Amino acid sequence: MSLNVVKFPVFPHLKKIIFPPRWLILFFLFLILNPVSSYAQEDLSSSWFNYHRVNMLVFLIFFFAVIVIFIERAKVGKSLFIRRIAGLDAIEEAVGRATEMGKPVLYISGIEDVDNIQTVASMIILGNVAKMVAGYETPLYVPVCMPFVVPIAEERVKEGYAAAGKPEAYNRDNVRYISSEQFAYAAGVNGIMMREKPAANLMFGSFYAESLLMAETGLATGAIQVAGTANIHQLPFFIVACDYTIIGEELFATSAYLSKEPKLLGSLKGSDLAKAIIMIILAVGALLDTLGITHFASWFYIE
Amino acid sequence: MGTGEILWNGLALFLTLSIFSILYKDNPFYKIAEHLVVGVSAGYFAIILYYNSFIPKVWVPVVHESKFLYILPTILGVLMWTRFSRKWSWVSRYPIAAYMGIGMGVAIPVTMQAYILVPLYATMQPIGFTSMALFNNLLVAAGVLCALVYFFFSKEHTGAFGGVAKVGIWTLMVGFGAGFGLTVMGRVSLLIERFTFMRDYLQKLFGF
Amino acid sequence: MRREVPIVICFLAGLSFILEYFIPHQSVRPFFENFRQWAIIVMTFAYVLGISNIVRVNYHVIHRKGRDWFYKIILIVGLFFMIIMGVFFGGIGEGTVFFWMYNNAYSPLQSTMFALLAFFIASAAFRAFRVRTFQASLLAITALIVMLGRVPVGENVWKSFPDLVEWIMNVPQLAGKRAIMIGAALGAISTALKVLVGLERTYLGGE
Repeated sequence: MSLNVVKFPVFPHLKKIIFPPRWLILFFLFLILNPVSSYAQEDLSSSWFNYHRVNMLVFLIFFFAVIVIFIERAKVGKSLFIRRIAGLDAIEEAVGRATEMGKPVLYISGIEDVDNIQTVASMIILGNVAKMVAGYETPLYVPVCMPFVVPIAEERVKEGYAAAGKPEAYNRDNVRYISSEQFAYAAGVNGIMMREKPAANLMFGSFYAESLLMAETGLATGAIQVAGTANIHQLPFFIVACDYTIIGEELFATSAYLSKEPKLLGSLKGSDLAKAIIMIILAVGALLDTLGITHFASWFYIE
Repeated sequence: MGTGEILWNGLALFLTLSIFSILYKDNPFYKIAEHLVVGVSAGYFAIILYYNSFIPKVWVPVVHESKFLYILPTILGVLMWTRFSRKWSWVSRYPIAAYMGIGMGVAIPVTMQAYILVPLYATMQPIGFTSMALFNNLLVAAGVLCALVYFFFSKEHTGAFGGVAKVGIWTLMVGFGAGFGLTVMGRVSLLIERFTFMRDYLQKLFGF
Repeated sequence: MRREVPIVICFLAGLSFILEYFIPHQSVRPFFENFRQWAIIVMTFAYVLGISNIVRVNYHVIHRKGRDWFYKIILIVGLFFMIIMGVFFGGIGEGTVFFWMYNNAYSPLQSTMFALLAFFIASAAFRAFRVRTFQASLLAITALIVMLGRVPVGENVWKSFPDLVEWIMNVPQLAGKRAIMIGAALGAISTALKVLVGLERTYLGGE
């Protein structure tokens, strides 16, 4: 009986683990043999390549390849299963409640500029929230902390309204630059929360100490609150003060999911594969380290 | 303490109390302080950018040192102002694209290094049951693996997989609790600092 | 011109900074350093958009005597007061009006907003302890243990409290933190990559 006909009815994924694809075996062999570490040199100021970072180059190329492969697979129509992301339901529910009540929706995009990837993810979500809100007679307030975010937020909201067939409902004054100072921004946002009384507060992006100031004020005004950030130190406060919190990678997944484009969803799948490989590396590395083989783990050391 | 200082510090005290008044409810004093902090901080940033960026990075190099290369970023910057025109606002995409490109380009390798390779390397430690240190290493590695399972999107969180993901979210929650508990003390010390400021001012003013 | 050129600009800018990470050669360092300065210069000009947004939005409220219009005047006055003082009245050095405004208006307002967190965190903690779910109770109990372990009274109650806190910080907290870091980094890098190659065109807006 050839190995290929062995059936795994109980746990089909076991097959993939026991018989990994050839490229994965080669990748691991490469890591274990660690053929490039001996090239390391000290003074690099006259060198055109930092050999200490060759491991990084390998991982970047590998990760980019995985993402691109999955995006290509999605483009040619291969069905890619992605589980329903709970944060998405929470956003829809919050916006739905606000529109039902005829009360405003407040969208807070964090306090960093668009050179921060979390802010980019937040802008993607904003466009979709605008599309959800546009159909109803409720305003969408977007207080902004950084100047570059102003034009992007304006465009995203305008585009969302246009996509919902309501371009005339877009009010440019609802995208408001507040201040680039975090607590002044928090004060301005809190002012909107207390006086405009939005029924839904959506907070997605990069947050720091001001997170709790805003989330607690929002809670006191009785709004339904959904927050999402990858800033670990602020997550506990969002969890305590918000109805639903999107944690870390879920923020990027939600933005990919909301875009609804299969090719963007493909990247989620690629990210999952990379995660699985990282998990295998972690487990193998810890086991080899236990056996006294530190060669493998040293591949991941970076200066 | 001179009259000028008394007045300036008095303003600081008044604004401090005005902000604290929000703990009671929204009121005119808080509204004054809130609008003042927003306006003053926006003006503050404008001036800081003017002196720390525009003057040394644009004005001095171009006008005084004839370094005309700096005209290029200046043009890119000025292109941002096409946002004021309905017809030409699309031109502002050029500087935005450059700004985002630089941001993403800087972030990709740094994120890969600091948030993937460094924690990965740190977690690959000897594991076992024979000593507390080894056992703790095992728990950390297991905790990381379970929590990573929670972040899987390609598979429903059901059955054994869901069970592991559940342990993952528990690990995260314990971590969040620790973060919360740790921050409380820091926040209380900030409050004490404000109270110390108010006490010192009143002491100086009334000499007790 | 409207869509393709920005995508190419974004890609080239991004690619060059990825390459910068791998090129230590001294001759290219100044080039990238200059490029970084460019980003700050562009940001400086973009700030004018922020100021114009503040003025426009608040002017509209003041003009139609909308709610709280009086306070919007305070906001605008504060904004221009700082700008005028900073540019025309002695700059920003010690002893200038700008400096005094910074020390006695901006700074206390900012630190008092920060200090408000002490009250907010207390109410958040109070709510956290009225636990609703098992997960929330894990958070609350751990927070309580860490708080107790960090104050002298905790050690009086149980002498091993500080050790327990140290274990929590070094084991479950560390594991959770690392997992979030790794997961979020993967999501962030793939989002950044999509932006660079033009699959994600959020920044372009509509036509």
